[in-house]
Amino acid sequence: MSTLEQTRIDSGHPARNPAIAVSRPISNTEFNSQHNIDLDDNVVCLKNISLKFISYKDTHPSLKQAVLNLILRRKSPAQDNSFWALRDISLNIRKGERVALIGNNGAGKSTLLKVIARIYEPSQGEITIHGRVAPMIEMGAGFHPELTGQRNIMLNGALMGMSAATMKMKSPAIWNWTGLGEFAELPLKYYSSGMFQRLAFAIATEVEPEILLVDESLNAGDATFVEKAKARILEVFDRAKAVIIVSHDLSIVRELCDRVIWLERGQVIADGPTQEVVDRYIARVHQQATGH
Amino acid sequence: MPMVELPPQIEDETAVFPAGARPHPALAERLSAIKAVVSRDIDEFHAYKAVIGNLVAQELQVRYQRSMLGFLWTLVNPALMMGTQALVFSRLFRGMGDMGPWQYTIFLFSGAMPWTFLSTSITDSTTSLIHNEGLIRKIYVPKWIFPLARVLIQGITFMLSMAALFFMLWPLGATISTSLFALPLAFILLGIFTMGLGLAAATIHTFFRDFGHFLNVGLQAWYFLTPIIYKADFLPAEERWKFWLNPAYPFVRLFQTIIQEARWPELWLFGVATLIATATFAFGYAIFKSQEQKIVFRL
Repeated sequence: MSTLEQTRIDSGHPARNPAIAVSRPISNTEFNSQHNIDLDDNVVCLKNISLKFISYKDTHPSLKQAVLNLILRRKSPAQDNSFWALRDISLNIRKGERVALIGNNGAGKSTLLKVIARIYEPSQGEITIHGRVAPMIEMGAGFHPELTGQRNIMLNGALMGMSAATMKMKSPAIWNWTGLGEFAELPLKYYSSGMFQRLAFAIATEVEPEILLVDESLNAGDATFVEKAKARILEVFDRAKAVIIVSHDLSIVRELCDRVIWLERGQVIADGPTQEVVDRYIARVHQQATGH
Repeated sequence: MPMVELPPQIEDETAVFPAGARPHPALAERLSAIKAVVSRDIDEFHAYKAVIGNLVAQELQVRYQRSMLGFLWTLVNPALMMGTQALVFSRLFRGMGDMGPWQYTIFLFSGAMPWTFLSTSITDSTTSLIHNEGLIRKIYVPKWIFPLARVLIQGITFMLSMAALFFMLWPLGATISTSLFALPLAFILLGIFTMGLGLAAATIHTFFRDFGHFLNVGLQAWYFLTPIIYKADFLPAEERWKFWLNPAYPFVRLFQTIIQEARWPELWLFGVATLIATATFAFGYAIFKSQEQKIVFRL
C-alpha cells in the first residue's frame, strides 16, 4: 500500500486537477491546443481512482441530529457506514479501443462508468479525459415531458455540449431515423414508451460521441427497433474514439469488444484481451458455483 | 496487462483508505486552489450557457402554455396581490406616516416586489437540486446551474411584473424620474444577494430535508421584520438603527428610494448593498462548493 500513499492525489479539489476542469465542455482539439498536450493515444486515464460511498442509515438525516452532534461534539454516526466502491483503480484507455467492464453485481462496474462520465467525483485519484463523453447510462436523461420532441432534442444536445446550431442541423436526421417526424411538435408526455426510447436513442447516437459509455440499455423496443438500433450502435462504435460498455451478456462482450476489464469488489482483477479474460471469468464463476 | 490474483478481502476498509488525511495546505496554495475552482466555474458557465437558457425557456414555456391569459398572469397576479395588500394595510396603518393611500400603495409596491423576488427565488432554489435529481444522477452537469436557473426565471418574472405594475401605478402618482436608471444596478445587487442565499439553501436542504419547513416560517418572519408594509419610522428614531442589522434592508431601501421617493439612492447605500451582496454570495458559494461532490450521493 506504500505506493498508493505516495501517489494519492486528492482530486476532490478540481484545483489540483485542471485536466478535469476543462475536459468536458471544451472540444478535444481546443483542449489540446490550450494545454499543449502531446496526445499519446490515451483518451481516458485513471490514476489510482478510489471512490468512497457514504451509505447513510437514514437517508434523510435530520437537522436536529446534526445540531445535537455538533453540541455534543460527537462524530456523525453516518460516517461509519461508508465503504469503498472503487479501490485504487489505474487504467488507460487508448484511442480505438472497445472495452467491456465485467464482474458480478456490485463489483463497481456502473460506478466506474459514472466516474468516467463525471457524475461521481472520485474520492481519491486523478482522472483525465480527452474528448466529449456521451453517457448512454440511462436513456432519456434530461428529457422534459411537458416540452415538445423538438425542444427536447435541443435541450439534450445542449446537455451533451452541442451548440444550438449544430443540433438544428442534426434534428432532421434524428426525426428521419426515428420515423417520428410527425410528432415533433407533440409534448413528450404523449409519446409511447417505445417512441420515447427511439428518440432518446437517436439523440444519444447522433451527437457524435467521442467517448461512448454504454450501460446495457439495448433491451427495449420492438424487434425492428432492436435490429435498427444494433446496426446504428455499431456505426457509432466505429466513429467513436473509444467505447466502454458494461454488460452481463458475455456473448455481446465477445462480439463487440477487444479488451475486457474484470472488476471485483471495486478492484481490477484482470485486464486484457477479451478471450483470455472472459475465459478466466467463466472459470471463476463456474468454480464458485460448484464450490471448488 | 498481467493477470492479478483475487486479493483477499480487506477487513478494516477505512483503515486502508483513511478519508481526508492530507496535510493542511499553506495559505498561498489555498488561494490558488480557490482561484482554480472559480475559474473552472466560469469556464463551465460559458460551456453551459445554452443549457441554462434552455432550462429558463422551458420553465417559462411550461408555466403558461395551457392557461388562457398565459404570460399575463405574471403581471395580473402581483397586481391583484398588491391591490389587496394596499387596501388592507392602508386602512390598518391609516394613522401612520404622511402618505395617502395612493402613496402608500406605491411604497408597498416598491418594497414588496423585490421581496417577492427574493423569497420565491430562495424557495425555488431550495428544491431545485432535488427536483433535478434525474438529471444530476444520469449525466454530468454543473449542479449550480439549477439554482441559477431558478433565480433567473424569478428575475425575468420580477422585471416584467415590475414594469407592468409601474405603468399601472403611474396614473396614481408614481413618478418617472432619471433615478429609474439606477434600477438595473439595484436589481443586479439584489440578484447576487439572492443567488448566494439560494445556493446555501439548496445545499442545506439537500442534506437536511427539514430545512424546507423552517424556511417558509423564517421567510415570513423576515418579511415582517423588514420595513416593507410599514415605514422605518414605525420605530422611534433611537431604535431605527436596528433595521440595518437586517441584511435585506439595504436592498429594499434601494428600491423604495428609487421608485417611491423617485431620487437617486445615496452612494453609501449602494456601497453597503454591494458589500452585503458580495459577502452573502461568497458565503453561499463556499457552502455549496464544500458539499458539491457529496450532493449526488444525497439526492
